[in-house]
Amino acid sequence: MVKAVRGALVKCDASIKAMLVDIDSKNRNDFIIEELDEEHVLVKETKVNELKQRLQDMMKARLKEPETSDSEG
Amino acid sequence: MPPKRKNQAVVEDDGFESMEEEALSDQETLDRLKESFDVAAMSKRARAQHQTDAASFLFKKSDQWDAPLKPDHANRPLWIDDGGRIILESFNPLFDEAQDFLINIAEPQSRVSRMHEYSLTPHSLFAAVSVGHSSKEIIERLNRYSKSALSPSVIAYIERSTSSFGKAKIVLKKTLSYIESDDPEILQKLLQDPEIAACRADNTDGLIKEAAPKIGVMAIPGTKMAAGANQRLQSSADPHAANPQEPANPGDMIAALREEDDDEEVAQVHSFQIQSEKREQVIKRCQVIGLPLTEEYDFLNDENNTNLDIDLRPHAQIRYYQEKALSKMFSNSRARSGIIVLPCGAGKTLVGITAACGVKKSVIVLCTNAMSVIQWRAEFLKWSNIDPEDIAVFTADSKNMFPRDAGIIISTYTMITSKRPRSYDSAKVMDWIRSREWGLLIADEVHVVPANIFKRVTYSIASHAKLGLTATLLREDDKIEDLNFLIGPKLYEANWQELSEQGHIARVQCAEVWCQMTPEFYTEWLKPNSTVQKRSLLSVMNPRKFQACQFLIDYHEKRGDKIIVFSDNVWALERYATKLHKAFIYGQTPQAERLRILENFQHNDMVNTIFLSKIGDTSLDLPEATCLIQISSHYGSRRQEAQRLGRILRAKRRNDEGFNAFFYSLVSKDTDEMYYSSKRQAFLVDQGYAFKVITKLEGLEQRTDLAFHTPQERRELLLEVLLAKDSELAEEKISGDMFQSKFASKDGRKKKTGARRTAGTLSELSGGQDMAYIEYQKSRNKELKTKGVRNAYLRKLQSGYNNMKKHKAADL
Repeated sequence: MVKAVRGALVKCDASIKAMLVDIDSKNRNDFIIEELDEEHVLVKETKVNELKQRLQDMMKARLKEPETSDSEG
Repeated sequence: MPPKRKNQAVVEDDGFESMEEEALSDQETLDRLKESFDVAAMSKRARAQHQTDAASFLFKKSDQWDAPLKPDHANRPLWIDDGGRIILESFNPLFDEAQDFLINIAEPQSRVSRMHEYSLTPHSLFAAVSVGHSSKEIIERLNRYSKSALSPSVIAYIERSTSSFGKAKIVLKKTLSYIESDDPEILQKLLQDPEIAACRADNTDGLIKEAAPKIGVMAIPGTKMAAGANQRLQSSADPHAANPQEPANPGDMIAALREEDDDEEVAQVHSFQIQSEKREQVIKRCQVIGLPLTEEYDFLNDENNTNLDIDLRPHAQIRYYQEKALSKMFSNSRARSGIIVLPCGAGKTLVGITAACGVKKSVIVLCTNAMSVIQWRAEFLKWSNIDPEDIAVFTADSKNMFPRDAGIIISTYTMITSKRPRSYDSAKVMDWIRSREWGLLIADEVHVVPANIFKRVTYSIASHAKLGLTATLLREDDKIEDLNFLIGPKLYEANWQELSEQGHIARVQCAEVWCQMTPEFYTEWLKPNSTVQKRSLLSVMNPRKFQACQFLIDYHEKRGDKIIVFSDNVWALERYATKLHKAFIYGQTPQAERLRILENFQHNDMVNTIFLSKIGDTSLDLPEATCLIQISSHYGSRRQEAQRLGRILRAKRRNDEGFNAFFYSLVSKDTDEMYYSSKRQAFLVDQGYAFKVITKLEGLEQRTDLAFHTPQERRELLLEVLLAKDSELAEEKISGDMFQSKFASKDGRKKKTGARRTAGTLSELSGGQDMAYIEYQKSRNKELKTKGVRNAYLRKLQSGYNNMKKHKAADL
């Protein structure tokens, strides 16, 4: 039987895609429907917001923010 | 040394004040002094009086919104806030005038194209007074340039910082350190401070009696020796002069003061000896309690040390900024200790040599490695008329002394501070260095010297004046402040942009190239269990970065540029270089091979690119290089960034019309490199360099001939990176360079990976199958080895020709 899933196309940098895939693999492949190429993935429409949130958390945790230059901290 | 007459009033005023303070109990005096000299406390007090408005928090401490603007503020170039921070508009018509003035009284912080930032520090104000600015003059001129009225806290700050100038000084007698003053009160006050008292060499009064007469002779410059001797008798007979514990008769003092001419010294000085190794501590402490010590060397009147016959050659032309720097050092014809900051390639060596020619006493030069020792010696011979015999070199290879009483010795920091047992020869030289007095100590690349090492240097070398030279007065560990006390304040800092506009250093285009990580690499990078080294290697070996590097090399080689590629990571350096078929140098490269590669780079049209590890960061003189690509670097080190930039600042072709040197920093996107790169650039941005961010190299996508074009190749590379052992990625140790490690280490060397198993036939291995071998990843280094003529006949011809020449020479 054919099963249809509504998807959203996400276009991002290759590195962000790596993060998305990482999130996906850690959560029982709950987000991504299909990896299209280096910069495009198809994700479940219902999960987009959650994915965004998780991505933001991950970026916060993994990347050091470039300093906003101001001498008087 | 007393200040010039024009400061006299101020000093006497202050003396009166301190007399009053004397009435308070000791501890109270100290606290009060401490508080009043503390800048932070002062500006905080001033700040409390400021009103705040809705936008105040944006400006924090520099909020001056309630300061009334002068009606003609548009014509005035300065903004001055309570904390002594000065902002100068560089587009103002008064800019040049104001800049000349500010450079004398304040320290430059940042000089970008439209705005320059300076700050007033006690050091800079102190230096200003000794250059001849009075506090009144400083305040007046600042007020004239300022857009708003000077705040009272700044005025008070300037007055306080300048008024104590010249009250006490630190001098060197017979290789020992003394603190002397013409006012015994001052010394007494200093001795009341427990910290300084603890630093005294001897706690008995007897010592002072000994010291005072000796100084009597020294303190009368310009008078005849006879008079000096006379004075010595007098002062030793005079119990007041000999013992500062008893206040001297003030009447005597004033009389003595009046007797002398304006520029002449006071007859009687008092002093106590301090332990040489605690010298820095004392200087620091005196600064804290508000009686900063003057450290000046009156070399013209120093008769104890023999003069050295040295002069600049007539062809040596001092550039205007070098002259400015030196004039700050030699104002009022005394040599002041301090640090001169000039960009790489702007002629620091010549400044050092000129200073030596000015002092005309024995000079000791300290460099970071043996290579620069040789360079310094060559420069001395080139620019000055010194007798080659008088320049001695003290390194592991040669241990000379100069034959006469005065001369120059060039050595390295390692040689002087080494604690290991020395050979007989070097122990002899070291003792000799320790036992004599030096007129001037020149410390090259002074920013690299750790404070404790430099302390040892100052302890073992008794020099009257110290001159530090550097391009980047920066350390990531905040130890730079220590240099203020170990050597002296920053005397001069050149404006990089100005110099490059005038063609003294090359104009450089800086760019930061953002390279996307490939998904495979980034997935690995994200893995939480990867080590720091592995992660940094992944971002360095990022195939996109590799391609960008290759692309840039191609592009610039076609333009005829000579390119240096820097990589801190030796593993990556090797991969890049072999893959791209270029020569590379790192710590383990043998000296002969290094020289050959460098020579080829300089003169061979076929070798336009070399890869260097961090051994190339400093003091490598390659004027041919015009383009620089950085693929990996040492975290957020601003100094490294600036020093690397320095490699192309001295480009030979800099005066060609429209010439630009290029500095690329390749950064893998979304990795730590981005964060560090923004930190690294801070210093250069302060010097007015603008980094262009390139997110996409035009034409890179279309190229199919670049390395790692196919996903297959990329995966192989990834595998290779993942298999690299952490031990191979360890930081490079550079032998012979003291600031990395003292020992040659084998750690950085690549180890053979274990056995490899493949299936095949025996005939294949023996070459029975029709298979030809070709070496693809040949090291370019090896190729450069073959030198001279290969063909037997031509070689014979040449050797015959050489022999003929030899014979001819022998006949002559």
